[in-house]
Amino acid sequence: MPVRAERNITFFSELPRLWALLPVLTWRDLRVRYKQSLLGIGWAVLLPVAMMLLFTFVFTRAIDGALVLDLHVPYSLYAFAGIVPWTFFSTSLNNCVNSLVANRALVTKVYFPREVFPLSCIASALVDFAIALLVLAGLVVYFHLRGDWTFVPTRALLFFPVILVVQTMFIAGLGMLLAMANLFYRDVRQVFSVLIQLWMFISAVVVPLPQDQSPWAQMIALNPLVPLITAYRDAILHGRGPDLAGFIYTSIVALLLLIFGWISFRRASFRFAECI
Amino acid sequence: MDDAVVQFSGVSKRFRIAQTHDTLRDLLTYGFRRLLQKRHADGPSAFWALSDVDFAVGRGEAVGIIGPNGAGKSTALKLLAGILRPDGGKITVRGRLAALIEVGAGFHGDLTGRENVFLNGAILGMGRREIRGKLDAIASFAGVEQFLDVPVKRYSSGMYARLGFSIAVHVEPEVLLVDEVLSVGDAVFRLRCLERMRRLVQDGVTVVFVTHDLTQMQSICPRAIVLDQGRIAFDGEAREAVGRYMNAMSRAFAGRSPDFAAPAGGGNGVVELLDLRWMSEDNKETVWIGPREEVRAEMTLRLSRSIRSMVVELNMRSALDGSLLSFNSGRSGCDFAGEAGIQRLTLTIPEIPLSGGQFFWNARIWDAESGTTLLDTPFRYPMGIDDCGKATGLLSLEHHWTLEAMSPESRPPSFIGNTVHAGGVCEDLSVR
Repeated sequence: MPVRAERNITFFSELPRLWALLPVLTWRDLRVRYKQSLLGIGWAVLLPVAMMLLFTFVFTRAIDGALVLDLHVPYSLYAFAGIVPWTFFSTSLNNCVNSLVANRALVTKVYFPREVFPLSCIASALVDFAIALLVLAGLVVYFHLRGDWTFVPTRALLFFPVILVVQTMFIAGLGMLLAMANLFYRDVRQVFSVLIQLWMFISAVVVPLPQDQSPWAQMIALNPLVPLITAYRDAILHGRGPDLAGFIYTSIVALLLLIFGWISFRRASFRFAECI
Repeated sequence: MDDAVVQFSGVSKRFRIAQTHDTLRDLLTYGFRRLLQKRHADGPSAFWALSDVDFAVGRGEAVGIIGPNGAGKSTALKLLAGILRPDGGKITVRGRLAALIEVGAGFHGDLTGRENVFLNGAILGMGRREIRGKLDAIASFAGVEQFLDVPVKRYSSGMYARLGFSIAVHVEPEVLLVDEVLSVGDAVFRLRCLERMRRLVQDGVTVVFVTHDLTQMQSICPRAIVLDQGRIAFDGEAREAVGRYMNAMSRAFAGRSPDFAAPAGGGNGVVELLDLRWMSEDNKETVWIGPREEVRAEMTLRLSRSIRSMVVELNMRSALDGSLLSFNSGRSGCDFAGEAGIQRLTLTIPEIPLSGGQFFWNARIWDAESGTTLLDTPFRYPMGIDDCGKATGLLSLEHHWTLEAMSPESRPPSFIGNTVHAGGVCEDLSVR
């Protein structure tokens, strides 16, 4: 029985193709998503805005004084600054989960580095993220001019790209793992769609987390997304750098996840065509 | 081969037949059963699609891979393309590779023809600028210039396939893998595809071509590999490869009992055809003949009772078209009376003047007195005809050419050479 199996494809020989294909598939994702839709790319603005309005209504009108938040910023702004990075996170991952299965024809009939599928989902969500950021900038200006709150530009804004890189690494690692897992077991997608709902409420997206010492709060503190979302808000709204301990913890998790995710994806990718 | 562009060394590929778990529930039940049973590494659930396959293809060579369904042809191509990874052995491919496993794989229905050219071109390895430069050529080759801005979901299946093929042949790869995709489009388009492939070969592209169309394969590839049940049965000159493949196919047909041995279709089982083989003039068994070679059909029949008068008929058809030839003993004026037992029946055909192709024969026998069908086989006896490219078209007929000098006075009065043009005749006809 033969034992040795080789194909002269290596990680590094694949990188140029990955790099060349990534923009093309990202463009395809965006193009397909907004084709035959009236609002087109306007949805990238509308969805987070709708979410913000919804949570603003729930937490400032519907619940009668039950939630008194001391946020130092208008609630709408607080919520939107959390919703924008959260939407990047959840949209990317929701698309990643299904990315290999949805591209079955390509996976079984053409060869190129399969990382392109999850990575292009992230890239296209990144475009939506950029558009939503413009809306956030608009909101900042609006509340500043209205005088409810004063925006002070500081050097803390320089942290923004660093936070974005860490978040993207985290998403990429997790996204590859999820895409791969869903290829072998379609249940992953269903389970994930429930988990991500829960994840949102323990990530300080629309409400701050409880600050007590209960076991629940301690478990939530392990969630690597909390320092990320908080760091965005700190940099943009509060003009201060991230809480270092938490942010370093998240960065390490993101890096490990990326390395582990990518290596597992690579190793499994040769089985994709026959297992899909 | 040191200068090989494509090299397979001892390549094996195994597929699992059972034991795929699409949902976690399957995995859990499977895992539980595995705990109770002993583990089989490759028991009945493993299927070797390729085992220990060795071949090398040099630069600029065109090689056809032929074989029956399930022989491992597509698996070999997918391994070459990198879609699958071997379970054993080593595969080396040098140079830019384009694999045409399925035309239009990766087309997105919502995108326009133009957008899909860019998408598919990039997937097949072309750069943006390169695609832009070739866009017009791709569209005109596919004949979809007017529809470039229409979403491909509104294309006809022919347009869709033509566009897919057109992109692939414009990639200008160093190695081109083609899997049975030339059957798309109409006859004219197919011809153009073949021309294009021939030109790629002339330009030094290495081509590996998987197909069931043996004539098409031979027109491009001088060399062919016959795969059978995951192993190389033959590797060499294309014509010989096709001959061997046809032979193997006829054996496979013959050995495929019981459904083939039974008197399928009609026939009451009184007569059984034990064997039908084609013999050449020099008494060798063959299935591959030239159009002007004599061939004999030798049939071994078993008659379960004596028949006073019977009519035998042999019919030939091609895979796609209907009946092409028929030989009927009754109409030839033969009256066969068969004793019970084994009989040898021979039909001699001095020539079958067809220019080429693969054909299948069946045999029928009637009782001339009662009209009951005694035997009616399916079209399971193959025959290949090849005149080595001496004729194109359907027939290959005996003919002679002459050229001689003529004295002026012996020239016939000319009325064609002067003024008649094609339209003139038609006009006359329409006036009348």
